[in-house]
Amino acid sequence: MYAFRYQRPSSVEAALELASADEEAKYLAGGMTLIPALKHRLASPSRLIDIARIPSLRVCERIGAGAGAVWRLGAALRHVEVAQHAGLAGDLPALTHLAAGIGDPQVRARGTIGGSVANNDPAADYPSALLALGAVVMTDRRRMPAADFFQGMFSTALEEREMIVAIEFPLPRRAAYAKFPHPATGYAMAGVFVAEHQDGNWRVAVTGVGAGVFRWEAAEAAIAAGDPVPSLERDDLMEDMHAPGTYRAHLASVMLAKARSQLSIGV
Amino acid sequence: MKISLTINGVQREVDVEERTLLADLLRDQFALTGTHLGCDTSQCGCCTVHLDGEAVKSCTMLAVQAEGCSVLTIEGLAQSYALSDGEGMSKELRRDREAVWKDQAGSSSAAGPPAFEVHPVQAAFAACHGLQCGFCTPGMIMASTDLLRRHPDPSDEQILEGLAGNLCRCTGYVNIVKAVKQAAAQMRESQTAGSSR
Amino acid sequence: MNAAISMRQPQSADFRFPEGIEPARQEDLRLVTGTGRYAADWIYPGMLHAYVIRSQVAHALIRKADYSAVREAPGVVAVLTASDVAEAGFASLPNAVTNKARDGSPQKQALMPVLASDKVLFAGQPIAMVIASTARAAQDAAELAVLDFEELPAVATVGDALADGAPQLHPEVAGNLSLRFEAGDSEAVEKAFAAARFVSKLRVESQRLIPSPMEPRAVVAIHDSHTQKTRLHAPNQGMVGMLNYLVAITKWPAESIEVLAQDVGGSFGIRSGAFSEHVLVMLAARKLAKPVRWVGSRSEVFLSDFHGRALALEGSIAMDEQGRFLAIRFDDEVDLGAYNCYFSTHIGTRNLSITMGGVYKVPALAMTSDLVFTNTVPISAYRGAGRPDIAYAIERLVDHAAHEHGFDPVALRRLNFISRDAFPYTTANGTVYDSGDFDKVLDRALALSDYAGFRARQQTSAAQGKLRGIGLAFYLEASGPGGAPKDQVEARFSADGHMTVYAVTGASGQGHETSFAQIIESELGWPATRVRYRAGDPAHQLIGNSTGGSRTLYGAGSAVKAMCAALLAKLKPHAARKLGLAEDAITFENAAFHSDTKHSALAGPLRVESLIDEMMAAGLANELEVIGEATSGSTFPNGCHCAEVEIDPDTGVTQLLNYVAVDDLGKVISPQLVQGQVHGGVVQGWGQAFCEHAIYDPGSAQLLSGSYMDYAMPRAGCVSSIHNDTINVPTSLNLLGSKGVGESGCSGSLPALANAVIAALRPLGVSSMDMPFTPPKVWAAIRQSDHGA
Repeated sequence: MYAFRYQRPSSVEAALELASADEEAKYLAGGMTLIPALKHRLASPSRLIDIARIPSLRVCERIGAGAGAVWRLGAALRHVEVAQHAGLAGDLPALTHLAAGIGDPQVRARGTIGGSVANNDPAADYPSALLALGAVVMTDRRRMPAADFFQGMFSTALEEREMIVAIEFPLPRRAAYAKFPHPATGYAMAGVFVAEHQDGNWRVAVTGVGAGVFRWEAAEAAIAAGDPVPSLERDDLMEDMHAPGTYRAHLASVMLAKARSQLSIGV
Repeated sequence: MKISLTINGVQREVDVEERTLLADLLRDQFALTGTHLGCDTSQCGCCTVHLDGEAVKSCTMLAVQAEGCSVLTIEGLAQSYALSDGEGMSKELRRDREAVWKDQAGSSSAAGPPAFEVHPVQAAFAACHGLQCGFCTPGMIMASTDLLRRHPDPSDEQILEGLAGNLCRCTGYVNIVKAVKQAAAQMRESQTAGSSR
Repeated sequence: MNAAISMRQPQSADFRFPEGIEPARQEDLRLVTGTGRYAADWIYPGMLHAYVIRSQVAHALIRKADYSAVREAPGVVAVLTASDVAEAGFASLPNAVTNKARDGSPQKQALMPVLASDKVLFAGQPIAMVIASTARAAQDAAELAVLDFEELPAVATVGDALADGAPQLHPEVAGNLSLRFEAGDSEAVEKAFAAARFVSKLRVESQRLIPSPMEPRAVVAIHDSHTQKTRLHAPNQGMVGMLNYLVAITKWPAESIEVLAQDVGGSFGIRSGAFSEHVLVMLAARKLAKPVRWVGSRSEVFLSDFHGRALALEGSIAMDEQGRFLAIRFDDEVDLGAYNCYFSTHIGTRNLSITMGGVYKVPALAMTSDLVFTNTVPISAYRGAGRPDIAYAIERLVDHAAHEHGFDPVALRRLNFISRDAFPYTTANGTVYDSGDFDKVLDRALALSDYAGFRARQQTSAAQGKLRGIGLAFYLEASGPGGAPKDQVEARFSADGHMTVYAVTGASGQGHETSFAQIIESELGWPATRVRYRAGDPAHQLIGNSTGGSRTLYGAGSAVKAMCAALLAKLKPHAARKLGLAEDAITFENAAFHSDTKHSALAGPLRVESLIDEMMAAGLANELEVIGEATSGSTFPNGCHCAEVEIDPDTGVTQLLNYVAVDDLGKVISPQLVQGQVHGGVVQGWGQAFCEHAIYDPGSAQLLSGSYMDYAMPRAGCVSSIHNDTINVPTSLNLLGSKGVGESGCSGSLPALANAVIAALRPLGVSSMDMPFTPPKVWAAIRQSDHGA
């Protein structure tokens, strides 16, 4: 690794101040993506601003009640904390189930939802949940719907020094997540998050298959109409040495079916 | 920069470079070479230690991130298990055992303190032939003890999920799973038998 | 990095097992407590750290190499380049085995230089070594090297390397063909094919693998200027073997080098030889008068450890009307990588030919193999070293022929078995198998796998839309003959009451310490817990073979057995004296000396353990120093493995439902350790069958699967249970009556798993597929088949 300075501010304001004083600084939460990148010398920040312990980034609370409630998850919540949150599991089990399947236990003990969302790996799990549930990304300066936030693989709407502080998830009527893991990395080779919203609309978001998480509108329409879901057609199917695009597209259908079968059992 | 953290039950003050990995701190500065480095993409789990009681990959953490935390390595596992038994240990014995770690540069007694009995998971790995070359073993044991903390009576699926972050090239995993099950049964038995462990 | 706090390294003596716990092996205490010592765990004060500069391109001329900025960089103490290597008079990395063409002409060899000088032939090839006060400083400095490459077209496959107009890797090797090897009688084979009723042909690939022992390679060298000895800590399979290779490269006197490894984190064949890094740190340690350490990162050793397998085998079989085998022919292609290193020739020649008829009576056998250079990492021995590959090819061919011509695959095998009365049996190409009872092994495997009940289970799966298949495979291999003239072990007794056994062969997970102690306990009654094992101790000049070729247990173990006999011979006069009898009046049985007369001075038998203890107490331990030796060649372990799989056509995922391994290993000394070896071998086979593949980009010859992010390794649960059984068909080829087990797991599992997968897919019209049977590949095959969606 190249050398850098390290600081651990105790508030978001202090973190922002440090970031504004140093253009080459980066925020550090769990480090599950950043630290391997540093080890391979793929990044050379001048400074790491450790935000993992900032209390306001670690809230996990329901705001409001009934169908209109939202769950606000602090950006520095670790995957294991989300996975084991009893209250959240009661309201939104698909999300805790997704968190429980990220990586492996050691990764879940460190990796955070904010880190995953800010990185927007095209095979990461969380982005599909945000997109399908219509979550709102709250940063230090604004609120953004997920659809505006994710802008293609590894690309988000975050501006310079902008920090995710929390993600708000509205509650669906029902939701489920199913993923086919990549044989080497454990990321999604195809991950499908399906949600029936309170207004009766269906949302299907797919990760691991294209150049970034996307909504599968044809599937949404088919489900809403009670029609069979057509096969996935896209120009940007991910192709690599592990699987051709056609296989990933096919897996998306299989995972969608699996997720839908889990809807009825309340997962 | 100077940080303070607890390693195997002993408070330590160290001066580290910011970019020093936790694994390197343990291995290079504390001679705790039982934590192994097996890969550089955070997938093999050979470097697994406990951070505040949870299994983490020490190669994917900076030492400075562990400031104020408690780190337990494979070398400290037996001791931590022994000391977790609140009763039945005399003050002298406890002090003597802690002294081994407190003052690694020189033990208090010439003969050395009595040997720590290993953790049930360590014993089970040895009894079930759950290791061959032993390189993955410390990390595998640390992951297993954490898995049993979360699931004291684990299903097969829970065991496999608990070991999903650890690679082994020698054993084919069959005896590792067996060892975890055996340790789980033994630990549950000593719980119900009234031991405070 | 700051100076290390002077901390005491924890020791295994700090720990103990609770009452009632029997560890499987003596070495387990230190290994489960993290107090083992692998190469990177040796800490020396003042140690320097090395970083290797490697080629980023696969084929190029080095036009310029300027290290001046590297030398000036902070913390840098030295940079070693090819000219330092030349000045030191080092040779290239050895090619341990060569072979000849049919006409007697020698193999065209190209040896790997310790450091590249004017050209590089594979991405990852070492060019220079930077030595600095910290590993980080060395790595930082390395980035300042100015290297100018003139890139040349590269070839990553055998096909491309043999094609017209292909770039030539070595000027002295036309067409990149190092050797065309031939064996057997091709005329007889041709005649047999001409007369045959049925002929079948199948080409299979045994894909390139990354052996990936969990300990990344690391070496530490320390030079003692008083004794003029350089000590090297390095993972190895036998310190004497490693020493010999170091001597071959450095040309230093053997007495000036000491190899010391306490624990080795796996090897599987690739670490018996010395690598560039070994001799470079040794050179640096001498030049700089400081200890020098190099630790490889995982992605680095992906490119610098030898790769495994990388063979294509095209088999043809000729049968008569009844299905009797008339001839088998193989035409193979062997990817050597960029240079001839160590055992790649052996893999591609002898190890493919000696058992090319498998367990069958085949009147005519012939093979050719083309050994070809490509711009890839050199290949050497990896668990089985060609033997799993030929077992795989034979058993896939037999299954293929059975189905092509309407024979039952089990009946066809039985019909062609070498029968149990036919041993010793000499194959058509001159290999002598000493013993075997293939019918018995097959029967056991069929019973354990409930082969007969398969159809019903298949229908249950089909009702749920799943494809179920069962596959079996019969393998036979020749274990390593041993290059050393004999195996020797030596025993000495020490004041603390232990017997220490000195030997050549070193462990990398097999449990040498334990197995040999078990032999001693069973021969003499001397408790295994009072035996220590020391491999490769330079104070004990012993002859013997390193670990490898699955021969250590019976090879060195036979020497241990002989040593026990020699010790008894030394004890006898003392026993006689103690019993007050003449030597011919006493016998040895059940760990004690007995007399059959009433004139014995003792009431009962005299236990060996007690006698030795008494002699030690009387200061006579040195009278009990003894050497045992034995000469053991190859043995022929064999077995039948059977796999049952279920494929989900929706995803192409194959689940392994049941796995049976019935192995004839002769006499088994340590059943638990044997079982462990089979488990490990089977799962390595599973890895090759379902997910592992070292993939090169054909255009650039860059390794695409360069880390565990892209090279998928088997994880817990891939094989959830293995039903092991052993049948002991005794061998008289060594004192123990044992056959080797280390590599048989791979030889049985590759064809069993493959045959099961193909069997599951055959009803859909899929007749062949190559490993790895990844979900996308299986799914695509189903889709494209006659019955595909």
